[in-house]
This record gives sequence, structure tokens and C-alpha cells, in this order.
Amino acid sequence: MTIHDLELIDVCKTYPDGTTAVSDFNLQVEPGEFVAFLGPSGCGKTTTLRMIAGFESISSGRIMIKSKDVSNIPPERRPTSMIFQNYALFPHMNVRENIGFGLDVKKMPAAERDRKVDRIMDMFGLSELAERKVDRLSGGQRQRIALARGLVVEPQILLLDEPLGALDANLRRVIQNELKLLQRELGITFVFVTHAQSEALGLSDRIVVMNSGRIEQISRPHELYTRPRTAFVAHFIGSNTTLAGSDLAFEGENASVQTAFGRMTGRCSTPMAAGAQAMAVIPAEAMRISAASPKAVPTGQNQLHGRIHMRHAVGSIGHFKIDLGGGHVVDVETSTDNKHLMALTVGDAVSVDCPPERITIVPAS
Amino acid sequence: MEARALKSALGVYCGVFLLFLYGPMVILAILSFQGPNGGPQFPIVQWSTYWYRHLLELTPGSRVSYLPVGDSLLRSLALAVMTTIVSTVLGVITGEAFRTRFKGSGPVFYLIILGMMVPGVLVGLGMALVANMIGIDRTWWGTAFVLHVVYTYPFAFLVMLAIFNRFDRSVEEASLSLGVSPAQTFRRVTFPMIFPGVLSAMLFAFTLSYDEFARTLFTSGRELTLPLAIYGTFSVEIYPNIFAFGVLTTLFSFTLLGIYALLMLRAVSRQRSFKGQEEEA
Repeated sequence: MTIHDLELIDVCKTYPDGTTAVSDFNLQVEPGEFVAFLGPSGCGKTTTLRMIAGFESISSGRIMIKSKDVSNIPPERRPTSMIFQNYALFPHMNVRENIGFGLDVKKMPAAERDRKVDRIMDMFGLSELAERKVDRLSGGQRQRIALARGLVVEPQILLLDEPLGALDANLRRVIQNELKLLQRELGITFVFVTHAQSEALGLSDRIVVMNSGRIEQISRPHELYTRPRTAFVAHFIGSNTTLAGSDLAFEGENASVQTAFGRMTGRCSTPMAAGAQAMAVIPAEAMRISAASPKAVPTGQNQLHGRIHMRHAVGSIGHFKIDLGGGHVVDVETSTDNKHLMALTVGDAVSVDCPPERITIVPAS
Repeated sequence: MEARALKSALGVYCGVFLLFLYGPMVILAILSFQGPNGGPQFPIVQWSTYWYRHLLELTPGSRVSYLPVGDSLLRSLALAVMTTIVSTVLGVITGEAFRTRFKGSGPVFYLIILGMMVPGVLVGLGMALVANMIGIDRTWWGTAFVLHVVYTYPFAFLVMLAIFNRFDRSVEEASLSLGVSPAQTFRRVTFPMIFPGVLSAMLFAFTLSYDEFARTLFTSGRELTLPLAIYGTFSVEIYPNIFAFGVLTTLFSFTLLGIYALLMLRAVSRQRSFKGQEEEA
């Protein structure tokens, strides 16, 4: 039997008033893994993190850390450390006192404590600020103090609750990179809560996508991006167009579904029965766009016809919205290098197509 | 035009307000410097510090008897200190309890608040009757002390409720998450952060208890507290020695306020970052 760093077994959280925050949460985290909980606000991701930390009780199920059941152990006796979105620094202590607090209270000899605090302050570039009050510092500095304070007590699992949420975009990128390096260096298991897919995709080894208290999908970032398993994930991750259809059919490794715009052929990401209602998920960047010539006969596979509804370019990416008629709009992203495409204007008739291996068929929501 | 009229009207209002607020105190202070043969009214016969010396019983042969305040002053101070300690501790504990809703928290809240709502004379009288019925002596350190706590505890509780209301729980959670026990977290994190509130609660409890009259009147027994002793002298005849005493106690109150302000200033400057963190979050 392998020892997981963290294991959640059938964890549920129901509040006294009957509302369910989290249900049937099952997850196994390997030592040194970086796992992100991703979902819209109110999906239960923070509640789950707080249950791991011990700040919320669990209604049923079990939480194990290193094969030890911690379900009924109070937060101060769990080998976890939590980083809060608002940093939650101690306002009445200076930087050094903040970082050393956890060791101080554990009655660690002063010399050893100072050595550890000095080392971690050095690592986070905080040595210059040691005697400063925490209120005079910038968001990024406070974030580093919070991380140093949480890590100096040497937790087995570091829990991070939207730690980048309060930072501006540039700083967020910097700290994001630092976090990734830090995690690799320390080899500590990180569990990270975020509502920003770019953070989750960029940082983590595995992503748990949550919606309405349930797990939608647990995957590695690339798989999550290319092979969503539910309609929710398809909408939440990346920029996909979904076309609902019926009469699911299989042919070799391909599956096809009958939509209002013809049969769409792709790959199933999850087992489904033939004839079922299903949905084709088409990634915006996988579509090829071409000017429709009036004589052309639409015979190609996965081909859609429409008119350009909107177009704009951001840096190297051109965004098109193609109106298929009947209120259906597909999003297409292309490179702005293609002068021919960039010459197209609103109202032009175009056709788009997508190779089957880039289309995913998911169960209808 | 209208704005200017309103402004001057408000100015007049403010002036009258200040007059009624400070007028009595100023008159009292001036008359306390009356000469030995002057009465408790204008004109000032002769400027002197005679009545201050009289208070300290340094005026042999005075035709006016000395103000019997020495013992009662000590009693009042002791009672106020006892009340402050008990009410503040209770206020902090219940304030902490009310951070999470519990079964029956509504009724309990009103039960506590009742202590400052009910008329003092009634509670005092009621306590006297209860003491008689169950056969215990009425003393300032017993029956009166209990009523002082019942009266000041709601004030301390409300102050702490307001403080805890805007207290960021994640700071405590951060401490717990570092492996610090709840008791240590309270001592090292929570208490330093709520300290300004605790000071305010103490100030309320002390001043309310120090000049409490109605509740004490029926419950303190033979040994009088300061407000009762002073009131007792009114029934004989009023001399300016009472004014001198009034000035001294007012100075004492100001000293307390000054200490409070200093401590508060220190605590708040330490606290500023807490607000900063909240704003940014």
C-alpha cells in the first residue's frame, strides 16, 4: 500500500441549515505534489481546504494525512500550515516576530529559532525588513512574510487559499513563478485554491475542478485543457464552443454526434453509450478559418459555415466570432501573422473546420 | 445665503451646548476658591485656597465640620476597581462567546443588556428586599458590588461585541495553523489586538461604578460610598469645600482619561496595519 501525503475519502460538508457545501469529495495527493482546487466562487473549494486545515468540521467521510486519520484533530495539531488570501499577518509584531511566532511558541531554543528564521528570511529576501512593522510593507512583501511564516514551522502540507488574489497582475506573475520554484525546491506538498484557471494551469501538477460542491474532473493541466470530461469543465477551462447534439455514434477511436450544423466528429473523454445526447467541444485555437467561396460545396468533416460577427486582435492573437445562424456563435482564435485572414471583415462569409482529434465529445449537461 | 444662516444657527447651538456642558463645572471650579467667610454662591468674598486646605483638615478651628469623605473615597475606589476587573473579564468572555451564534444567543443577549436598562432605584430596592429575605447583610463589597457588576457588565459586553465584530478571524486561524494552542493564540494574538477595546470597557466600568448612586443607596448598608457620603452632606448645609472636592475628583477623572488616551494611542498605532490588511483584502 502506498502512503499518500493527503487523502480525502467521501468527504461531505453539510451545514446545520441543510445546505450542502461539499459532497463525495475523494482525492489522493502524492508526496511533493502541487494540487490546485479550481472553480467558481461558492463551489466549495475553500471549504474543502479549510476542512483539510481543520477550521471546518467534516459532516462525513475521513481526511488522512500520511495515513493518519486527522478528521477529529484540531487545526493546531495537524501537520498543515495555511496561507490566507489577506495574509493574516500579526499586526502587533514586526517581520521577524511574525515569522518566528510559530517556533517561539513551540519553546524552541532561541539560537535554533533565530537560525531558522534568518535562513528563511534570507531565502525570501526579507532580511533587510526584519525589524520593520508589517503595516509599512507592500502586498508582495507581506505575501512573502506570510509564506515564510507558514513554511518555517516545516509543515508536511502547505495549504494556500487564493494567495495571489490580492496582488496586482505583474506581481502575481512574479510570485507565481517564485511559488513554483519554491515548491520544487522544498518538495513539500502544496494544495492551492484559486478561481483563476491560468494560475491553476501554470502552477499545478494536477487540478481538481469543482462545481456546486462536487468534483467535476481531476486531471493534469494539459489533459484538462484538451480533454474536458464534462460540459462544465469545457465552459470553465480554455475558450471552447460547445454544440449540443444527439445520436452519439462510434467509429474506431472516433465518436460523432448529430448537431444542428451537421455531424461533428471527435474523441470521447469519458465512457458514453451509443445513441446518447452529447455535446461537441471545439477549442477556439484548434479551428481553421477560410473565406468561403460561393461555389464551394461543403463536404469537409467538421465544417461550419457562417458570417463574421466580430473581430479584434490582441497582440499576436486574432479573435473572431462567427455567427452560424440560429443564435449560435463560435469563437475562433488565429495567429495575426496570417495577413489573408486578417483582411477579413465583419459580415464576410467564412467556413471553419477542426480536425477530429482536437474535438472532444462530452455528455450533455 | 441659506447655508450661511444654517451655519450660524449651528454655531449658536454649539455654543449653547458647550455652555451647558462646561458651565456648571466652571462655576464650581471658580467658587471652590472662595474665602473662608464666603458662601456657595457669588460674589467671591476673597480668593483663597482655604477650602482645599479644609478638605485636608488643615484648618483648625473651622466652624464648618470636615467633609466625611476619606473612608468613603477609599471604598468607592476599591468598589470601582473590583467592578472594573469582574465586568471587563465577563465582557471579554461573553464577547468572545458571541462571535459565533449559539442556541439561545438572542435571549442571552437581552438578558445581559437588561442589567443596564432597568431603573437603578428599582433594582436597588429589590436587592435590599432579597437580602432581607434570605438574611444576608447589605454591604458595599457584597450586595452593592453585585449590582455594580450587573450594571456595568452590559457596557463592557457591548464594547467587546463591537470590537469582535470587526475582528479578522483569519489572524487567529493563521496562529492555530502554525501549531499554536488556542490558549496561547488568545494570549499572544487575540488579546493584544483587542486591547484598545478592553481599555474602553474598563473605562466604562470604572466610571459608571465610581459615581453610581441609585443602586448603591439601598444596598451598601451602613458604610457609605463616595456619592452617598457627598449627598449626605447636602442635607446639612452646602459649603464651598464640596466644590473643592468636586474639582479634585474631576482632575482625577481627567488623569484617568489621559492615561486611557495614552494607552489607546500606543495600541492603535500598533494596530494600524490590521486595518491596512483588511482594506487590501
